[in-house]
Amino acid sequence: MDSPQLHIIAYCCEHCAYAAADLAGGLRMQYPPEVKIVQIPCTGRIDVLTVLRAIEDGADGVMAAG
Amino acid sequence: MIVAEQKSLDEIKSLIGDAERVLVVGCGTCVTVCFAGGAREAAIVAASLRMATKLDGNGKDVTDVTVQRQCEWEYLDEIAEQIEGADLVLSLGCGIGVQAIAEHFPRKWVVPGLNTSFMGLPTEQGVWAERCAACGDCVLGLTGGICPIARCSKSLLNGPCGGSEGGHCEINPDIPCAWQLIYDRLSALGKLDLLMAIQPPKNWKTSRDGGPRKIVRDDLRLGAEEE
Repeated sequence: MDSPQLHIIAYCCEHCAYAAADLAGGLRMQYPPEVKIVQIPCTGRIDVLTVLRAIEDGADGVMAAG
Repeated sequence: MIVAEQKSLDEIKSLIGDAERVLVVGCGTCVTVCFAGGAREAAIVAASLRMATKLDGNGKDVTDVTVQRQCEWEYLDEIAEQIEGADLVLSLGCGIGVQAIAEHFPRKWVVPGLNTSFMGLPTEQGVWAERCAACGDCVLGLTGGICPIARCSKSLLNGPCGGSEGGHCEINPDIPCAWQLIYDRLSALGKLDLLMAIQPPKNWKTSRDGGPRKIVRDDLRLGAEEE
């Protein structure tokens, strides 16, 4: 049986995690399509509301990367 | 500031009951700075209620709005339309805010989302402590700026009592003995003689003992001169 399509929102700091994802893309490395990357200026920008709204709008999980 | 704490989501859900359209009203003053009922908390409570009721199988229409001060009619007038459009108002103001909404919108059911705790200040980030009991007859001028009414567990005016041990209160060793603090401060400032003056019994009528209190300032009332 196929597993259900998941939606993971990854909030990535533009100074490190987002740059790393960008580099991974440049190197043609692959990551699961379930992960949707959102660039943010700093993981400190993430608030409880940011996470709640992502989940309320259908995300199965939220990742903070920075 | 007035310090408050949020009620649990379960209690809030039970207060909301069958209402379908819920308006969460935050307050931009005291409860904002004690992180209990400001715009951010109102949005979080609204999102939590939307998700919790959806999971319960009866998703409710929960919106939020925050006014500068819930305790003044003028600010409530700004959200009159939203209040009228809701089945129920969940106030994240202090007890005064809840009552202001109930009084200003007599046909609207209003429930509290907070437990109003005390008047106090943040002693460090994330810690609030009681400082004033609003007794209506301030004695801070005699006690070196430390309130024996709010900070002594027994509100003694002639402390410390026998339960003061090593500068701490017998009620709870985490509570500093207010009268020890008073003595130490007066001593440091060379004003211990203040404690020697005989004080008349405190007039508790200005506190809650005189019933609900009211201040009337004719110099500020509109139309008071004509009366």
